Amino acid sequence: MTPALYELTAVQVRFGSRVALDIDTLMIRAGCLHVLIGPNGSGKTTLLAVLAFLRKPDRGSVVFCGSSVNWSGKELGRLRKKVTLLHQESYLFSGTVRANVGFGLRMRGVDQEETHRSVKHFLALVGMAGFEERDATALSGGEARRVALARALACRPEVLLLDEPLTHVDQESSTIVENLIASLSRAGTTIVMASHDDQIEKRLPCMIVRLNAGRTPRHEPAPEESA
Amino acid sequence: MGFLAESLRKAVFLIVSGSPDVLSAVWTSLFISANSILLASLLGIPAGMCIGVGDFPLKRIVLTLLNSLMAMPTVVIGLLVYSAISRRGVLGSWNLLFTPTGMILGLTLLALPIVANYSLSAVKGADPRIVPTALTLGATRFQSLLQLTREVRFGILAAIIAGFGRVISEVGAAMMLGGNIRGYTRTMTTAIALETEKGDFAYGLALGIILMGVALGINALLTFVQEKRRS
Repeated sequence: MTPALYELTAVQVRFGSRVALDIDTLMIRAGCLHVLIGPNGSGKTTLLAVLAFLRKPDRGSVVFCGSSVNWSGKELGRLRKKVTLLHQESYLFSGTVRANVGFGLRMRGVDQEETHRSVKHFLALVGMAGFEERDATALSGGEARRVALARALACRPEVLLLDEPLTHVDQESSTIVENLIASLSRAGTTIVMASHDDQIEKRLPCMIVRLNAGRTPRHEPAPEESA
Repeated sequence: MGFLAESLRKAVFLIVSGSPDVLSAVWTSLFISANSILLASLLGIPAGMCIGVGDFPLKRIVLTLLNSLMAMPTVVIGLLVYSAISRRGVLGSWNLLFTPTGMILGLTLLALPIVANYSLSAVKGADPRIVPTALTLGATRFQSLLQLTREVRFGILAAIIAGFGRVISEVGAAMMLGGNIRGYTRTMTTAIALETEKGDFAYGLALGIILMGVALGINALLTFVQEKRRS
C-alpha cells in the first residue's frame, strides 16, 4: 500500500450555517488516482479547495506529507507550489495562450527560455500545439479547458486536483484529457478528480471516494481501489 | 453678442500667441493635478483593492465612509487641510500653505476616495476566479493581487481618469490652499474665477476653452476605456 499523502481528520467546512463538508477521516494515497463521486452540492469542489490549500477548514486537521498543515501564509505559499487545482470553470487570464501556460513557471522563477520550451511541450501534450500566440480569451470552451490543463501541468505539481475536467467538453477534448490523466497516473502523479461519472472506474484504474451531502459514507471503507 | 464675439476673438489670440500667463496657469494646473492623482493612485488603488478583496469586521462602515467622502464638498476638504497646514496647524512648521505642495496635499485627499471607490468597484466586478487561479498556480498573495490588478486594468485606469477629472476642474480647495498666486499657485480654475471677477473676460474665456478641451479629452479617454472594459 502506498503511503498517505493527505490525511484529513474530523474536517468540517461551513458556509454560514450550512455544513458543506463534514469528513471523519480521509486518506489520499501518493501516486494514485482518486475520483470523488457525488451529486451536485455533495462537497466535491469544497474538498478540492481544502486539498489545494485554498480553503482552511473551520474544524479538523489536514496532514500533508506527514506534517500537519498550520495554514500560515508562509507555509501555504510553499504548499501551493506542490499542488495545482484545475477549476471546473477554468479562468484564463487576458493575454496570449503562451502567457497563460507560462504563468505558474514565472511564479516559480523559471527562466524565459525554459518557460518557452515547457509551454510548447505541454501545449503539444494537450493537442494544442501552435496555439501559443492566440488570444486566450477567444478560445472555445474545450480549447480553453485544454489550455488550462496545460497550464496546470506546466507547473509539474506533485498533486494534480481536477474539478470535473470532463464536463462540458467535446468528445475530442474529453478523450485527450482522459488519456492524459491515465498516463499521468501511470507515471506516478497523485491525482484527485471530481466527477459525476459513475462509470469512470471502468475506464480508469482509480480509487473511488463517494461524497454525499459533504460526507463520506461511514460504513464504507473509502477510498476503495478498483480495476 | 458683440461682447462675447470680441472676448472669444481675444481668447483665441491669447491661446494662439502663447500668452505666458495662460501657459503658466495651464502648466500649474497640469503639474498639481498630475502629482495629486499620482499620490491618490498610489494610496487609493491598493486601498480600494484591499477593501474589495478583503473580508474584515468593519468593512461595511469603511464602505459607507468611502461613499460619503466622495460626496464631500471641496471647500470642506480645503478647510480641513487649511487648518492642518496653516501656521497654527499640526503641519504649520512645514510652511505648506499657499504653495503647490499644499495644494497637492488637498487635491490628493479630494481624489483619494474617488480613486479608491472606482478601484473597489473594478475589483468587485472582476471574475472571482482570478485570485484562486493565480494562487493555485503558485502565486503568492501579493502576486495574485498583482494579477488581479492586471486583469482589471481598464477599471483602474478609469479610476485614475475620473480622479484626474475631479482635481483639474477643482476650484474651492485650490483657492483656499494655494492663494491664487500668479505664476506660482494660480491654476486654470482659480485664474478663471479671479480674472472674470476683475473684468478680464477674454483671459478667463481663453483658460475656459483650454479647460474644456482637457475635460473633453478626459471624457473621451474615459469612454474609450469603459468601452474597452465592456468588450
